[in-house]
Amino acid sequence: MHAFVIRRFLLLVFVLFGVSVLIFGILMTFSPERRAAAYVTTPQQAKDIPRLIQQFGLDDPFYIQYVRWMREIFRGNMGWSLVAARPVGEAFWRYLPVTLEMNLFAAPIVIIFGIWLGTVSGIHRDTWIDHGTRIFAIVGWSLPTFLFALVLLMVFYGYFQLFSPGVLSDKLTMFILDNPETFKRFTGMYTIDGMLNGRLDIALDGLRHLVLPVLTYVIVVVALNMRVMRSGMIEELSKDYVITARAKGADKKTIHIKHARRNALLPVVTVAGQLVALSMEGSVSVEVVFNRQGIGWWLAESATQLDMPVLMCICLFMGIVFVITNLTLDILYAYIDPRIRLT
Amino acid sequence: MKRGTIIACICFLFLFFTVNLHAAVKNPDTFILANYGNLRTLDPCVAYDVTSSQRLWNIYEPLIFFDGSHTDKFKPLLATEVPTLENGGISADGKTYTFTIRKGVKFHEGGDLTPEDVVYSFKRNMIADPDGGPMWMLLEALTGEGSTRDKDGKIIEGIFDTIDKCVEGKGDKVIFHLPRPYPPLLGILSYSSSVIMDKEWAISKGCWDGDIKNGAKYNNPAPGHEPLLKIANGTNAYRMKNWEPNKEFVFERFDGYWGPKPKLKIAIVKYVKEWSTRKLMLQNGDADRVRVDIQYVPEVKAMKGLTLYEVPLLSVTAAFFCQKINPTGNPNIGSGKLDGNGIPPDFFSDINVRKAFLHAFDRETYKKDVFNGLVIMPTSPNVEGLAYHKDVPVYEFDLEKSKKYMKEAWGGTVWEKGFKMIITHNTGNEMREAAALMLAENIMSLNPKFKIEVRNVEWKDYLVKYRNFEFPLFLIGWGADYADPHNFMYTFMHSRGVYGRYMAYQNEEVDRLCDAGIQTIDPKKREEIYHRLQDLWYTEAIAVPLYQQIVVRAYRDWVKGYVPNAMLTDANELLMDIWKE
Repeated sequence: MHAFVIRRFLLLVFVLFGVSVLIFGILMTFSPERRAAAYVTTPQQAKDIPRLIQQFGLDDPFYIQYVRWMREIFRGNMGWSLVAARPVGEAFWRYLPVTLEMNLFAAPIVIIFGIWLGTVSGIHRDTWIDHGTRIFAIVGWSLPTFLFALVLLMVFYGYFQLFSPGVLSDKLTMFILDNPETFKRFTGMYTIDGMLNGRLDIALDGLRHLVLPVLTYVIVVVALNMRVMRSGMIEELSKDYVITARAKGADKKTIHIKHARRNALLPVVTVAGQLVALSMEGSVSVEVVFNRQGIGWWLAESATQLDMPVLMCICLFMGIVFVITNLTLDILYAYIDPRIRLT
Repeated sequence: MKRGTIIACICFLFLFFTVNLHAAVKNPDTFILANYGNLRTLDPCVAYDVTSSQRLWNIYEPLIFFDGSHTDKFKPLLATEVPTLENGGISADGKTYTFTIRKGVKFHEGGDLTPEDVVYSFKRNMIADPDGGPMWMLLEALTGEGSTRDKDGKIIEGIFDTIDKCVEGKGDKVIFHLPRPYPPLLGILSYSSSVIMDKEWAISKGCWDGDIKNGAKYNNPAPGHEPLLKIANGTNAYRMKNWEPNKEFVFERFDGYWGPKPKLKIAIVKYVKEWSTRKLMLQNGDADRVRVDIQYVPEVKAMKGLTLYEVPLLSVTAAFFCQKINPTGNPNIGSGKLDGNGIPPDFFSDINVRKAFLHAFDRETYKKDVFNGLVIMPTSPNVEGLAYHKDVPVYEFDLEKSKKYMKEAWGGTVWEKGFKMIITHNTGNEMREAAALMLAENIMSLNPKFKIEVRNVEWKDYLVKYRNFEFPLFLIGWGADYADPHNFMYTFMHSRGVYGRYMAYQNEEVDRLCDAGIQTIDPKKREEIYHRLQDLWYTEAIAVPLYQQIVVRAYRDWVKGYVPNAMLTDANELLMDIWKE
């Protein structure tokens, strides 16, 4: 087990190297002028493009630029984000908690709700419950996230004046700014920090701002989990061991929950793991519509403005997330299915 | 169990409802602007965009500033009066400007304003002169050079000594010595790169140490390495309370302000990219003003409880004919020959082609269909609101005349063989896209052998490619750096101007007039010069003037005091002027 984990972490080094070369190579396909233009916004500033190329050595050979970049990374300098107007490292830690906070609430709901819906649907195959959950899944899965988020915002915020966009109300933001000593930012997530500081009003306000983003995300994403769980349940319930258990007189609850559901969970764990890993990139639509500046928003803005250091940073981060997710999933497999041994 | 769950849910929802009801009470001391401008820096020597200027103008103060709606009349701020020829503040030869510095002014961090701070601020910003920054304006006016560095990026010999001598403090006065008269200087002194900082504070934060011999050490800081990037210490009525990049910028009233006390206590500029979100915030009163892009104007006009202001901007967009297109691997000119499958690199050097395109642009339809009439159709780059503006004739929409010129173009070869080319516009700009499509369709309707494709190019690529002479016709705009015709006429017409150069347009008379215009202080002589240049714009058929934008500012009707000014774009908000009631 330990050797397995160590081996996986060693593998991470190669994965990150591969990701960095690949992304750096892709970005190098843009001309030096185009990359220098990232620092320019108006025609007035465009006259300085040649000097910017010279200043940053943007016309140097690929390997020289790559080595120079790697050297800076090892010095702890991930570069400057034009979009965030901050060093990339600093900006990353500002945006990550926003995405993380949404995932913290959305991911358990997606997983638990998906498993429950899939189980119910699989058990009640071809009944009105099954049809209902399947329609829900199809509608959810086919809804454009951006549109759905807008509809929720218009109904709940526009019409009922509930659940305003952003991460915290202005009054409480001002309170935090005025009382930096009283309110400590431990995690950057208002719901958690509110509780850690004993300020339930801040935690609740943060939670209130999370309702619509989480709801959007859950409804759109839960469908996949539910579908996989339903298929697994149907498959398991038709297997011989289930018939044997029934013949032996085992009660339905034991058959469904203890036997079938546990075996049907394996593919769900894979899908849920990948969904959680992907969600670390943030949902661009959700973050844009609900005005939550997280990793997804940052990535989208950086991609359109060719903010290279940010693209590199987020790609490396996602590389790390996926390696760790896969490792966690492998360990989980062994726990769910004792026949699997990690060697 | 089930009953317990239901009760818990009801309590939870009730909590949400009540919390929200309390949050709905709007604070009359707080102003909220929902915008989407990306704030890059707070360092005055680097800031060269409207978003950064907005922050700087509310935190710092220049010596003088625009007086109300005027773009060419000024009011004193940190100076006690605006220098003129009459009061002796400007010397008769136009080469010396003298300002008396206001007493009793405090910086936010507690320092007192002195003439030494003023001298230091100007010198420091000119010494730093980062690439892509605004300092070329002051450098051009005060040293005669547009940069501290030459084309190869090397520091120009003696430039720091020149900077050292061009601004001096004498008692309570600060004197600017110009190498030659420069009429737009007062406008440049109102810009956000001319704001005044506390010398001691700036040095303590890592800015230029005050020794001119060390100038090179502080020259051209890399992006993100400017010392005043995240910090500010001005004298204005508001100080920076908090800046969370791309989230919000919070201003707080400065109680030690020397002037009248502003009414707003707090102002928050929120970064809200999505229009629907901004609109709902305005509707719910969670924003007192939001930025409205032109396509959403009808939506805000239909909303209740708003006060709308239509403000023409000092900016102009045109479609420029490139007369020396780069033929190397350039798909925009097809075969590169006049063989029906392309155009030669000098296609637009024939004035008949240019006139044909000008007659093919339907100004009235464009104004009505694209802008709902909410636009000024310019006749030359010297747009309405600039000094010496006059309406010159335009090439009216007439496809018969267009056809006539096309038949005459290139000795009849264009008409006989036809041509193929690509017109490009920057992605997402619907106004420019519409203009490109209109020109393409109308020209193609003249002769089936004329083929024009319209394509969009991402903005940053567009900036690079037009400078590589890759576009036969490029559509681009210019916003005023300062409110003087020189800033537009030189840019659009001079062979070394930003657009003149990339059109490869050359006319000795135009160049001579542009150079004379900036060196002449007699208003009557300047008027003659700029009137002649505007006439030449028409007769030479240099480019197609497309639009001078009018922006709509949408305020909740409880916001009072806004004064429109064409130099201040919709990203700007002078907090000192406004209040809520």
